[in-house]
Amino acid sequence: MSLEPFNRLVRLAARAFYDDITMKGDNQPKNGRGDNRGMAVVVLDALTRRQWVREEDLAKALKLHSKQLRRTLRFFEEEKLVTRDHRRETAKGAKIFSAAVAATADGPRGKEGEEKMKLHTHSYCCLDYAQIYDVVRYRMHRMKKKLKDELDSRNMVQEYICPNCGKRYSAFDALQLVSLTDEYFHCERCNGELVAESDKLAAEEMGDGDDNAKRRRHEKLKDMLQKMEEQLKPLAQQLLRVKDLPVPDFGTLQAWEARANAANRANGDPSANDSSKSSQGHGYGGTPMPFLGDTKVEVAFSGVEVKEDTEPETKATALKVLPPWMIREGMVLTKEQRGEVKPDVMKMDQPSSSTDDKKQKIVKDDQKSIEDEYIKAYYSALMERQRAQEEVTKKMQSEAGNLSNGVSEAAGRKVGAKAKREEDEDDAEWEEPQPTGEVYKVADLNAQAQESSEDEEDGIDWEEG
Amino acid sequence: MFFHISMEKNMQLHPRHFGPHLRDKLVAKLMKDVEGTCSGRHGFVVAITGVDDIGKGLIREGTGFVTFPVRYQCVVFRPFKGEILEAVVTMVNKMGFFAEAGPVQIFVSNHLIPDDMEFQTGDVPNYTTSDRSVRIQKDSEVRLKIIGTRVDATEIFCIGTIKDDFLGVINDPGAAA
Repeated sequence: MSLEPFNRLVRLAARAFYDDITMKGDNQPKNGRGDNRGMAVVVLDALTRRQWVREEDLAKALKLHSKQLRRTLRFFEEEKLVTRDHRRETAKGAKIFSAAVAATADGPRGKEGEEKMKLHTHSYCCLDYAQIYDVVRYRMHRMKKKLKDELDSRNMVQEYICPNCGKRYSAFDALQLVSLTDEYFHCERCNGELVAESDKLAAEEMGDGDDNAKRRRHEKLKDMLQKMEEQLKPLAQQLLRVKDLPVPDFGTLQAWEARANAANRANGDPSANDSSKSSQGHGYGGTPMPFLGDTKVEVAFSGVEVKEDTEPETKATALKVLPPWMIREGMVLTKEQRGEVKPDVMKMDQPSSSTDDKKQKIVKDDQKSIEDEYIKAYYSALMERQRAQEEVTKKMQSEAGNLSNGVSEAAGRKVGAKAKREEDEDDAEWEEPQPTGEVYKVADLNAQAQESSEDEEDGIDWEEG
Repeated sequence: MFFHISMEKNMQLHPRHFGPHLRDKLVAKLMKDVEGTCSGRHGFVVAITGVDDIGKGLIREGTGFVTFPVRYQCVVFRPFKGEILEAVVTMVNKMGFFAEAGPVQIFVSNHLIPDDMEFQTGDVPNYTTSDRSVRIQKDSEVRLKIIGTRVDATEIFCIGTIKDDFLGVINDPGAAA
């Protein structure tokens, strides 16, 4: 779950749509000091750096008057960009929130107000990313549609002119104008055939100034539409990028708090285990579960795998090829991870894999003697692969420098590359639904299964980090 | 859009109805007078659903008619700009077509018919797409959007469009036949 694309979306939208919004009521005189345009952008920006935040804290951080901030936030709530939550709580209760903030932001937070058993209503706010995405999309759609409709004069009431006497009619008069004899409208006064006003002929004959104005308006609309597309392009692109990403969701205030505190505790943060906080259960929906941190699984490998694993981990983790189903638009990935630049390994791979293919074909041909063939093929393939692997590693060491696709890292991670080569082959073979392929793969699977699963985990971890 | 509203009317009743069924006569006359009428403010009165109250009658001097103030509930239909309606085509000509949604007449000019539909003259004038898959002729049912209404004291006339998403023919009598 990465926030960055969504935050960028919020920042772009803020600048595009809320740049010149003033929060003052209309009754107040607008002088230089009272002009607070751009504040909306600042507030939204600040919110992208936080999750749930108490409005007073936010006001303090932004050095704004809390009333002013509240007005802005209320505006954003109406615009459906922000979710807010209000609750009455003691100063003590507010501390739970502070703890939660500390857990996520791990910034130093001073001791908030001493224990007063007085109830205050506190308001919290948070960006609602899912809704923001929809709101921005809808807004752009409406803008575009409105302009386009105007441009096509789609919703215009048609006007008709009598070329003889110059009398104008609108489509509202259609019922009276329709004639029984032919398919045209007829003038009530002179019974001449009416022409639709937008027809060139009529426009030239009739009032010219009016037409000019219309044409100018048309130009203006077109210009506006073009400008809009141009200026909102970054926003549209960001929307597109964000489309397939999972939307970050902090949940309700309570849920978020509980989660944040729990995570904090699981990490062994001493401040979260304050006695004052552990006794806060009353007045809340429920006590947060103390050991509800992220589940962590460690898998120990034995023998060769361990050796192979530990070494590349330092260099190659960030450069693993992500499986295609994990790659989504908007992810920040290097070409290597997308698998676009095939590591040199693939090249060296070809001789061995082609022989494999050949053998598979043979096996497929005579299905009768499958069993014997399997065993033979299995062993020979195994042998061949081992040999090939040795060759590959040797070649890698010697030739890594002058490979045709010139991946500079090649020399740096020979061992990792070797591991990857086998994995790539895995993928290719999985695609084939033949029974022979599976038998073949036993060798691969034994060698590689654990590792490939570990790879996937690596990929995910990296994404989060 | 349909509304269920309460309205009032002063009913004049002929003296010959004065008798044991005066109230029934009054309600029957109310229905006859009111249902199907159109007022610019409320739209078309579709049906009277109930009579709330009949006030004291007042005998008019000279004629002998009696005026009763009657309060009644009724369903009214009033088209609005932007509303989507389903209507039956009543007439097709070169300038567009006329359709009816209940009591309301709607005109769709040829500028508000999708550009790929062409007018075909002949025995049954119609608008047809170039691939002949969609045809609008008399008695076709169309879904249209009202883009303008002209509301007179006793008449409502609308202008519609089918040049938008999800608008157009919803069943084709020619295809069914």
